[in-house]
Amino acid sequence: MDRRLFLAGLASIAVPSAVAAAEVVRLRDLYNKDLSFSDLATTMEGELITVSGFMAPPLKAESRFFVLTTRPMAVCPFCESEAEWPNDILAVYTKRLLKVVPFNVPLLARGKLELGAVKDEETGFVSRVRIVDATYERG
Amino acid sequence: MHQFARTATAVAAATLALASTAALAQDIVQKDSAWYTDAQARIQEMMARQPNTNKAKNVILFIADGNGVGTNYATRLFEGQKMGKLGEEHVLSYESFPNLALVKTYNINAQTPDSAPTGGAMNTGVKQVFNTINLNENAIHEDCASENGNKLTTFSEMVSEAGKAVGIVSTARITHATPAAVYAKTANRNWEGEAPDGCVDIATQLIDAMKAGTVDLAMGGGARYFAPEDAGTMDGGKGSRPDGRDLIKEAQDAGFQYAYDTGSAERLNLDGTTPILALFEGSHMKYEHDRSDEDEPSLADMTKMAIEQLSKNEDGYYLEVEAGRIDHASHDGNLYRTVTDGVAFAEAVALADELTDDGDTLIIVTADHEHAIAFNGYCGRGSPITGLCYDVAKGQVKHSDEPLTGSDGKPYTVAGFLNGAGAVLTEQADGAYFGTRPVVTEEGATDPDYLQQALIPMSSETHSGEDVAVYAKGPWAHLFDGTIEQNYIFHVMNYAVSAE
Repeated sequence: MDRRLFLAGLASIAVPSAVAAAEVVRLRDLYNKDLSFSDLATTMEGELITVSGFMAPPLKAESRFFVLTTRPMAVCPFCESEAEWPNDILAVYTKRLLKVVPFNVPLLARGKLELGAVKDEETGFVSRVRIVDATYERG
Repeated sequence: MHQFARTATAVAAATLALASTAALAQDIVQKDSAWYTDAQARIQEMMARQPNTNKAKNVILFIADGNGVGTNYATRLFEGQKMGKLGEEHVLSYESFPNLALVKTYNINAQTPDSAPTGGAMNTGVKQVFNTINLNENAIHEDCASENGNKLTTFSEMVSEAGKAVGIVSTARITHATPAAVYAKTANRNWEGEAPDGCVDIATQLIDAMKAGTVDLAMGGGARYFAPEDAGTMDGGKGSRPDGRDLIKEAQDAGFQYAYDTGSAERLNLDGTTPILALFEGSHMKYEHDRSDEDEPSLADMTKMAIEQLSKNEDGYYLEVEAGRIDHASHDGNLYRTVTDGVAFAEAVALADELTDDGDTLIIVTADHEHAIAFNGYCGRGSPITGLCYDVAKGQVKHSDEPLTGSDGKPYTVAGFLNGAGAVLTEQADGAYFGTRPVVTEEGATDPDYLQQALIPMSSETHSGEDVAVYAKGPWAHLFDGTIEQNYIFHVMNYAVSAE
């Protein structure tokens, strides 16, 4: 079985029919329930992947970095007394300077998958999983 | 008198008729329909009911945060559909409880309530001020000085004085509004781990209450507010207390048991001799959909442990159990997690009912407030509650395969929110808000991460002032009837434990 087809098959559990869309990975598919990396994530480490999600309001203007979230990053004053990141997020390092997309507009981000903790120099943000050299578009 | 006698005779006749073969219905063609016979059986059940006037040894107050009548309806259909039913006919565990009232949830100064004064109203018997906990009407939100002289007496203080054990279980942080309402008094619900000079933060108030013996068991999330800033906690998180106090260590030094995950919870000694503090997450515990048993216990697991521990006290107990994250999922506009946490709540109630005796335990099930949730029509039977609204089918009970569409030609879901992150109006490049409804498919809408469409754009969906229900069984549960003020719940609890 072709590796690409195998991955597409795994991803298609969560994704609609079209061939192009079948290659889209859901952010949640990169993690297991205990927040360890899924087999899918370890298999695709170093590969170019397309991930669907939402752009969390950026930490810094004029940046090449944003956080992709599974669901829109609602900021609930009654739930949280301080800024809170969900556990299942993906850091996206973009090829070009960031153009901010509203937090609740679905995105497709494409880049090379990296695993393992890295601290962002500029923001101090520690990511466990990233895509780098990334591009993104409205999904 | 004459009229009373006639009514009494009529009732007696009806009882007789029903007890025999429904004689009054003999010529009615629909008399063999299940709808008809089920309803007749219900009449018999209602007539057989006797008020339970025992003294309540134990009181369990279940609060599903944000689970108003509408949200509860969604959970009922979801659980039913999960079990393979159409859904509408389903009955949640507590919906079979004998007594029910509708609850007005507003706060002293807020039409739309928040969880702090609503939890406080249930724990003190009086309505309270928006965003404050267990202070009287003179309290001013965020004004530390306004706590002075305005603190109320809590149910936990009253019953612990009378010898009862007190427990709190929540899937939210144990310092969050609803659990805090059992033990804390504060001018700001957000003073969870620090407070201005002259006021005491909520985490410290919990440890003080445990040391004072007004709280004997506390299980939930929120370890960060019990540990010094940046210090690691056993649940894998980090502390955030700027005053550097290690309240977990203080609790352990005071001889209390501490648990931080499923394994350590299983090792707790539940013989009732040693108070328990269990903090399973740095912040809130996980949504039921995201939780794994190996990592942290379910709401039902925690409820079981709490009952096992507290029931060892011969004078009985007061236990407040909160499903804290039904509310959070609705704030996110994500109905799937709202209803899956709702099902976990119903399971916890069912287990508590199994483990206790109606003769001596008053179980109350309610919510603190509703959300801005709303439901579309006209969906056929069995339309998936998180999915699309399908047309009614002629000649069959179940819905047709045709999704109904709006005037825009696009399908719509059964449920939606009036505001929140699922808003169809999104911010454009020029800052203006504009939008059309995205196309929604069945697969997309029933996905666990889907956000139901909403109208007004907001980063977080809001509560609403709409009524919630209260369901009850056990001693004096029949005092719940009609439409009540939320603070009345305290009075039923207090009457039930005091009755002679």
